[in-house]
Amino acid sequence: MAETQIVVHNLSKTYRVPGREPGLAASFRSLVRRTYRDVEAVRDVSFTVEAGEMVGFIGPNGAGKTTTLKMLSGLLHPTAGQARVLGGVPWERKPDYLQRISMVLGNKSQMLWDIPPLDTFHVLGEIYHVAPAELKRTLDELVELLEMQELLTKPVRNFSLGERMKCEFVAGLLHHPRVLFLDEPTLGLDVSMQGRLRRFLAEYNRRSDVTMILTSHYVADVVTLCPRVILIHRGRLLYDGELSRLAERLAPFKLIRLALSNERVENEPELPPGADIVEQENGRLTLRVARSAAPSITAHLLNTLPVADLAVEDPPIEAVIDQIYQEGDV
Amino acid sequence: MNQRGGWALIKSTWLSWMQHRSFFFLLAFMWMIPPLIYLFVWSTAAGGKTIGGFSRGEFVAYYLVLILVNQLTYSQTNWTVGDVIRSGQMNTLLLRPMSPLYGTLASEVAGKVVYMAFMIPVTAVLALVLHPEMHVTLQNGLAFVPALGLAWALRFFWGYWLALLAFWATRADALLGLQDSLVFLLAGQVAPTALLPGLMRQAAAVLPFRYMLGFPVEVLTGQLSTVELWTGFTFQAGWLFVTLLLFVTMWRTGVKRYSAVGG
Repeated sequence: MAETQIVVHNLSKTYRVPGREPGLAASFRSLVRRTYRDVEAVRDVSFTVEAGEMVGFIGPNGAGKTTTLKMLSGLLHPTAGQARVLGGVPWERKPDYLQRISMVLGNKSQMLWDIPPLDTFHVLGEIYHVAPAELKRTLDELVELLEMQELLTKPVRNFSLGERMKCEFVAGLLHHPRVLFLDEPTLGLDVSMQGRLRRFLAEYNRRSDVTMILTSHYVADVVTLCPRVILIHRGRLLYDGELSRLAERLAPFKLIRLALSNERVENEPELPPGADIVEQENGRLTLRVARSAAPSITAHLLNTLPVADLAVEDPPIEAVIDQIYQEGDV
Repeated sequence: MNQRGGWALIKSTWLSWMQHRSFFFLLAFMWMIPPLIYLFVWSTAAGGKTIGGFSRGEFVAYYLVLILVNQLTYSQTNWTVGDVIRSGQMNTLLLRPMSPLYGTLASEVAGKVVYMAFMIPVTAVLALVLHPEMHVTLQNGLAFVPALGLAWALRFFWGYWLALLAFWATRADALLGLQDSLVFLLAGQVAPTALLPGLMRQAAAVLPFRYMLGFPVEVLTGQLSTVELWTGFTFQAGWLFVTLLLFVTMWRTGVKRYSAVGG
């Protein structure tokens, strides 16, 4: 049985933010008396993660994903609740703890701007007390996986965003962390670079058995990498489980796409009860039907309409997630 | 303590600073302008006579030493601490198993090396042209070393605790500007503190600023009696102690606040 590496129990974080009415008078009043309001960024979140798991943290902007990640990496103190990562309390920020975790932030860099990445990697090796031979071995492996040999000796300031992100990954993994937090690691990257980094993460996880928690707004990141997702909305945990199950639970319907042969295009086709038209264009129809009714409706359609082509599909995961973000419920 | 990491940081900071050495040489040149102006003002005013016990050549010696000491004790890193906090770059530093203070100290050490590469030849040329008059005794020379070290520590940590106010206020570096002005007035730049008018002289003697700059210069150029020397060291060490307390308190409460409100 895998060892439990992350235990989070009723974790909450409330920010106190200053606020004031618009206008000059209110601005003067706020000089004398500042008013604050409480923003509950994370509320009573609990979950556990086993060694080697890859967990996707999803939720709309401001849902509390990054706040949770920052608490687990020790950057933020929670308002209430407990968390233990690798047996330690993250926000005590003990060197021994920081030595065994890593956090890669898509919008922050830890590379030294003016010198080649190889120099930064050596500094990080020293900071994390990685033996030179071990450092070289790890570097060679990561550089090969990321295909970035030619980048090692150029100054970082000349890099594209994708090249820089490759370096951030190497920098974050040089000391062999046991737990890796990834906050929007593919932010702003083009499709092929995103795919490359995803393949890298999957391969790295397979080789090193590192535990990963990933936040991303790119659904493809989560779909490809994370068998398990934790969905947070307005600070609350709404769902924790397999991504495919989330779709089933949330979208208890299927989509039937069909193309009709030409002669019936002009007329409105007669549809069986329980089939709603989602899209209709040039003889192509997309219907939404209850999961349980999909077989009988399909049979009915094939019998009654001049069907040229027919496909039964699950709704796209983007649509499912969008529905949760809009409605805020599972 | 993480000495391995600290040394590696110093080396890499130095490497990255050498990429922009002309920028740092220009900065160093800019910082030597005010003392250079006062060197010319006072040495011209003295002419063939003395002012407050200083001859022309002694003014030249005082200001040339002051230019070097100013460069060695000035902490330009204080100005970047606030940016690191405001920009959220502090996050990456706090994630490392090493105090962020190491990074700042690394910049200090690396910076001094780069600046001295410019300052030593420039001051040497000025000395050849302007003929300073200075008689360094062994005692003064020996006392200068700790006075300089303490002056650096005092100026660095004083500026650092002010810069850490950025944890609470967005534009805390205005206070660093104020510190620079007070150093200019009270630390022996505008005039050697012995020449300041009554109340200012008394203020200079008790406030920390003279001990960040003027005091080691006075020690090396032999202006102080033994009693003045020991009184100076006592004030310098006392202010350093107070400053370190302030720094540690600000650092602890600041990081606590940072982890409460988020970067």
